[in-house]
Amino acid sequence: MNFISKIEQDTIDFAKKFVKKLKGGEILSLEGDLGTGKTVFTKGLAKGLCIKKIIKSPTFVLMKVYPVTKHKTIKHLVHLDAYRLDDFSELENIGIDEYLNGENVVVIEWGDKVKKNLPKKTKSIKFKIQNNFRKINY
Amino acid sequence: MINLKHMKILGIETSCDETAAAVLEANKGKFKVLSSIVLSQINIHKKYGGVVPEVAARKHVEHIIAVVEQALTEAKINDPKKQIDYIAVTAGPGLITSLFVGVECAKSLSYCWEKPLVAIDHVKGHIYTNCLEHMANGKWKFPALALVVSGGHTELVLMKDEYNWKKIGETLDDAAGESFDKVAKILDEIIPGEVGYPGGPFISKLAKKGNAERFDLPRPMINSGDLNFSFSGLKTAVLYLVRDNKEVFKKGDAIDVCASFQQAVIDVLVSKTIKAAEKFSINTIMLAGGVAANQELRSQLEKAIKDLDPKINFLMPEISLCGDNATASALAGYFKILKSDFTPYQKVKVDPNMEI
Repeated sequence: MNFISKIEQDTIDFAKKFVKKLKGGEILSLEGDLGTGKTVFTKGLAKGLCIKKIIKSPTFVLMKVYPVTKHKTIKHLVHLDAYRLDDFSELENIGIDEYLNGENVVVIEWGDKVKKNLPKKTKSIKFKIQNNFRKINY
Repeated sequence: MINLKHMKILGIETSCDETAAAVLEANKGKFKVLSSIVLSQINIHKKYGGVVPEVAARKHVEHIIAVVEQALTEAKINDPKKQIDYIAVTAGPGLITSLFVGVECAKSLSYCWEKPLVAIDHVKGHIYTNCLEHMANGKWKFPALALVVSGGHTELVLMKDEYNWKKIGETLDDAAGESFDKVAKILDEIIPGEVGYPGGPFISKLAKKGNAERFDLPRPMINSGDLNFSFSGLKTAVLYLVRDNKEVFKKGDAIDVCASFQQAVIDVLVSKTIKAAEKFSINTIMLAGGVAANQELRSQLEKAIKDLDPKINFLMPEISLCGDNATASALAGYFKILKSDFTPYQKVKVDPNMEI
């Protein structure tokens, strides 16, 4: 399915709705070039999960973990940046395995870079700029 | 009892892609850097356009012992067990796999030499570099405000004194240095090979020849009323500008993009710092972090502070202390040592998301 986002708030609202369908245990691979809205989408997921903390770019530290307190089944939102990696096992070295269970939502920006050994259940979400809109394919 | 005379601190820093060790001597509040070794991995990572964690950690492991040894040799420390008093190591924030190397090394040395260990916040280390020169000349005065800008951080910190610090503003998305990296990546399409990683030095060098007023780029959140920053939208504005003119842009245009982009970043950094200075009554403003090496930022911030109130001290570290280094860890260590704020080596923990 496709969603067309005209402004940043559209992407945030879309992600807020999207996260309502998640229960925990999902792995989302966000795929798309620089500036297509991957981090904005993650900000929306966090809003939908009532996370108050600021979702910042994970580029520098690769993994940021945000506790979720107001959800029945989801305990953490885990935000990763795989831009400079090429194998999912490298994410294990930075501690992702701790969060690969039914209690967390794991979001990997540039997930297409770590196709090798990526868990089968990973859901891919593609971001693309079309004119001045963004197309989100999910 | 802390002996304040000729205290020698070994600092160790491996939070990102520099393997660093330094020996600092503190003598009744006066500092002397006896050695400071920084082994940069930039040449290894630049072909990937950023730090590759696996590679960085492996290189840290390869180099850490040699770097520590060289720091000791240059400081004329023959018998570290007798001559070194304390060990200070960066424990976060940073790349987890990189941080581990320095921390494990420091823990082993603390155990072998039987020396107390202090765990350092990397961002605080950046800020403390300002006391190296300025503690002795009386300019290290509080209350103070620090702007920390680097590849991983953009923060405004209010400092009541040497210990009571509070973050009063931060980026909501990308760090300032990160936006330089990303814009360098975008411009690579127009001027291939002339911009690389890290983006800051390439862009600021090109910007010198460019027209900063040519492109009207956004100054995100400049009027937001709070002290937070955002650089993601600015990066996207540059992306659109370059994409829409891909066919016609030549090198001269790319240079103007560099200058206009850099000015947009500086305008926001300066404006928020001045706003914070107006809001809180302070004696001193400090600049710190890798982006503090940007000459335009240094001179424009200095001027803005002078215009605001010439009585405010403005401190900035010398260029060699802006990037990651272990002198910073040792200096931050000094202040924790004064408070006897040690962590037994068995209990030192790496914290990649440590926050002030």
